[in-house]
Amino acid sequence: MSSIISIAKRKGAFQQSIDAGFESGSEDEDVNMSDSIDNGPTHTQESNSTEGHIVTPGELVTDDPVWMRGHGTYFLDNMTYSSVAGTVSRVNRLLSVVPLRSRYTPETGDHVVGRIAEVGNKRWRVDIGGKQHAVLMLGSVNLPGGILRRKSESDELQMRSFLKEGDLLNAEVQSLFQDGSASLHTRSLKYGKLRNGQFCQVPCSLIVRSKNHTHNLPGNVTVVLGVNGYIWLRKTSKMDMARDAPSGISAPGPSNGAPIGAKTLRSSDSVSITRLEEESSWQIYSDENDPTISVSLRQTISRYANVIKALAFCEIDITHERIVSAYEASMVYPSVGSLIDREVMETIGQDVLTAEKMRGTPS
Amino acid sequence: MSRFEIYSPEGLRVDGRRWNELRRFDCSINTHSHAADGSSYLEQGNNKIITLVKGPKEPSLRSQMDPTKALLKVSVNITKFSKTERSKTSHKNERRVLEIQTALTRTFNKNVMLHIYPRTLIDIEIHVLQQDGGLVGTLINGITLALIDAGIAMFDYISGVSVGLYDTTPLLEVNSLEENVMSSVTLGVVGKTEKLSLLLVEDKIPLDRLESVLAIGIAGAHRVRELMDSELRKRAEKRVANSTN
Repeated sequence: MSSIISIAKRKGAFQQSIDAGFESGSEDEDVNMSDSIDNGPTHTQESNSTEGHIVTPGELVTDDPVWMRGHGTYFLDNMTYSSVAGTVSRVNRLLSVVPLRSRYTPETGDHVVGRIAEVGNKRWRVDIGGKQHAVLMLGSVNLPGGILRRKSESDELQMRSFLKEGDLLNAEVQSLFQDGSASLHTRSLKYGKLRNGQFCQVPCSLIVRSKNHTHNLPGNVTVVLGVNGYIWLRKTSKMDMARDAPSGISAPGPSNGAPIGAKTLRSSDSVSITRLEEESSWQIYSDENDPTISVSLRQTISRYANVIKALAFCEIDITHERIVSAYEASMVYPSVGSLIDREVMETIGQDVLTAEKMRGTPS
Repeated sequence: MSRFEIYSPEGLRVDGRRWNELRRFDCSINTHSHAADGSSYLEQGNNKIITLVKGPKEPSLRSQMDPTKALLKVSVNITKFSKTERSKTSHKNERRVLEIQTALTRTFNKNVMLHIYPRTLIDIEIHVLQQDGGLVGTLINGITLALIDAGIAMFDYISGVSVGLYDTTPLLEVNSLEENVMSSVTLGVVGKTEKLSLLLVEDKIPLDRLESVLAIGIAGAHRVRELMDSELRKRAEKRVANSTN
């Protein structure tokens, strides 16, 4: 059995009256507080407003009234307390506590992946893993073929032919409402319905906001890392190739026997970008998957999905580089299904971290 | 069966504890990361419970939507095999279970910052795998851990503990044997303060003894808070060490 957890008698007036009425326990001084659990840092008077300090609910963050109180804090008698378990963050005079784990909170400009939950009056309600569903107005989607016009009543009637319940899409947060829920838009060809791939979910705290959330991975796979923790893995399309083309495709990491090299496809890609946009924009709401997805590609996609799960299991932030690095580390396991064994996931997580240390690349 | 001694003259209880000793306390958080936003597994003595917090999420019914604050829903599932003898009927709509649910909802309504999650639902689900007295206190601890794991803003920890009164001796954290033969109270203590957010008295208790009962209860609850806090910090440090930003 574990150590004894006994309660020391407290000092103070409240306790005094117990001693009077109850004496037999007071001679057991030898057992009091014999357990070895460390109480952690005691933090009654000192102010914990240092950056990155871990605080838990009800803990005093600072007693300095100059700080403005942000999310995750509350104010009582000129003292700022934490309301969540997380790390202290300071931006100028704004003091907030970032929770370790929480639901996704949308911010304007976020690239998210979502699922249609409800088709309503001139709008779709989209589950983006937040506290509330986001709305996607009929006016903020592209029509097939990229026709630019006001949405008419007939468009309203055929909303289900564009997007219906259960469809996955990627979109950008256009604006936020007063209560914190988001309004989305898909007014760009990089947004819209998702096809040809697999969905995967991780805690949103593991996805770091960055300039680009769509990455082409070795093995002819493209990943869309939604800021909300929803991830879409798909076969690299011509659009994805074209997106990378101007800067030149650099297959990150050594291409160690990836089934279909990303570079081989590019050479055949002679269609100009504008032409591509025109071509693809007619099928943006199509439900048909690409019929040419091979078994090996399906396996590559599942392998990526499983290494992402492994990274999430190890609570490692998910970035483009780490996915590639974890994918390479996973190659020693021939069976894709074995990747989600607990030990294997831990090993992959370790491999990624050590590989990073060896390279010395700050991610 | 011979009658066992509840509290021996040497100051030992049926399970070998002294009057002021807590039971074994083992907790872990984020145990069901795929099933819920926050989860905890708690063993307090022989009480074993799983708590899942889902939300804040879009309510499934329009009637559950409050434009000013979130709705907190607690459901307690006491399994049929949780006691030494398997119960024949389900505990689902038992009066006692419904009462526990109401008490827990009220306790946490005051403590969780519901006003910052308008139009949402926070669904708390507890599964009691094994019970051995002082169940409500354990449930409170489980919910506190799971809510913090879910990142839901709350004013402070609430730690629950039960205290029995044997003759004139308060006994900290009663087990089911003790619970059956003496009157006991359950406390929900707010953080490090001496404020109570729950005082559940299901039996008669002499008023002049209540103060000593509360005193040891509050001290015990503070210890429970420390134990929960150290587990949370351990998790937090691991997470922070892995993150890059």
